[in-house]
Amino acid sequence: MRGVLRQAVLLIGLAFLPAIGQALYFRGNPAVLAKPADAHEVTLAEAKGWGQSVLWLDARPHEEFDSGHVPGALSLNEDDWNGLLPAVLATWKPAGKVVVYCSRKSCNASHGVAERLRNEAGLKNVYVLPGGWEEWEENAHR
Amino acid sequence: MRIVRLILALLVGAVFLYAGALKVMDPLRFASDISNYALLSWSLGVRLAFYLPWLEIILGLALIFQRLFAGAIVLTGGLILLFVGATIWARAQGIDVSCGCFGTVSSNLTLTWHLVLNGGLFLALGALWFLRPVAA
Amino acid sequence: MKISLAFAGSLLLFVLPLRASSLTWENLEADLHPAITDKEAVAHFKYKNTGDQPVRITAVKPSCGCTTAAPPNEPVAPGASGEITATFHIGDRIGMQTKTIHVTTDEPGSNTTLTLKADVPKLLEINPTFLYWSKVQPVTPRVILAKVGGDFAVTKLEVSSSDSDVKVETSADPKDKTQFTITVTPKKTNRPLNAMLKIQPDFPKDTPKMFYANVRVDAHPENAPASSPAASPAATPAATP
Repeated sequence: MRGVLRQAVLLIGLAFLPAIGQALYFRGNPAVLAKPADAHEVTLAEAKGWGQSVLWLDARPHEEFDSGHVPGALSLNEDDWNGLLPAVLATWKPAGKVVVYCSRKSCNASHGVAERLRNEAGLKNVYVLPGGWEEWEENAHR
Repeated sequence: MRIVRLILALLVGAVFLYAGALKVMDPLRFASDISNYALLSWSLGVRLAFYLPWLEIILGLALIFQRLFAGAIVLTGGLILLFVGATIWARAQGIDVSCGCFGTVSSNLTLTWHLVLNGGLFLALGALWFLRPVAA
Repeated sequence: MKISLAFAGSLLLFVLPLRASSLTWENLEADLHPAITDKEAVAHFKYKNTGDQPVRITAVKPSCGCTTAAPPNEPVAPGASGEITATFHIGDRIGMQTKTIHVTTDEPGSNTTLTLKADVPKLLEINPTFLYWSKVQPVTPRVILAKVGGDFAVTKLEVSSSDSDVKVETSADPKDKTQFTITVTPKKTNRPLNAMLKIQPDFPKDTPKMFYANVRVDAHPENAPASSPAASPAATPAATP
């Protein structure tokens, strides 16, 4: 039994050698220091801190948007992308930031919308609030 | 018996070697896969992303060449349990993750297949444990 | 010995989640290939109760608002079968879409995840879909590329602008027959322009599908009061207060 343990520890140790080597090779690479998707994800506190310069976009279906949304938010979902996009682009401020949210952590509509805004419309400074409407509401009642 | 052991060890070892090699080539992608599970902070996840693929490669090699054999079997089994636990946890949280186990190759793996594959590997490891040369 | 025990114990971990349900699914995944003109794609997930007790499907939860599934009201009798229908409303989505549907029954620990994949064809890929001239950028013509996807037989694009002050011109790429160039030129900069470009390919013939791009020009202050339609950006400095 001892022998098994010793072997396991030896293997765990062995794997460190190339790993450290590779990590050294990547040292200083900015992508290592911050989560790449993080560049596009924002915490609620951070987004609120941006104040008026933020254009909030609600990626949920329109019934959910109608029954409550972040104040000032515009609706932009892929159900009616072409119909909703013009109003968004007319309101968008070139120097401002865009924050997209959907229902909750597990939804990914916000990521889809943010990606299309970046890739197709070429907007910069598009962020996703991962906690979504759920997080916003939890904080509103606090 | 030796031939069964050889085949099983080659099989499991190759899977781990393959999985490790795929991820070792793009540790940053693997780091972002890990972060999708929302279990670890980014700084911890990125360290794991540099380490885990190498551990898989070393374990794969150890299994294939049957060196440090018993230790490799136990560690590999432990890793599989860890992976399965993380996948089930993520699914229970409603997080839609591609498991990241085989880099980009795994993005179409469903949960069931994932469990079947891991279960199969685990069974093979169990068999290997009993078939291992005790004298070694 | 301890290790063998640990192994046997952890093997249970695999058996437990698989033991679960007496509902057996014919397919856990549906690959859908909607046609260009389809508004929705419907997936069928067939199940059969292979247990000896009736099973009630308590919840069918799509991961997103865009899939809806209708669960049966009555419990599923032993040996009986049925199906969950998931309707995916395509809306303005393009490309590969993956949606999951979580099915829960009254058996403990019997969650099933169904996956619906729909490959929505890309008839036209417009890039970019937004052109923007700020108030300081010179209003020079810019280009939108429209690339025909797959083997769709698009031979012509009809492009119109909702604002007559935004001129559009379309030309087919002489070398690449699957690519069109749309040149956009705002004619006036003395007021803010928000124009929508309608891009209509000549395919499919009887049910035309429309594509859109947006143009925004912020008013250039130096031209603001200019009224002459022929005013060029540098021509009217005297008019500014």
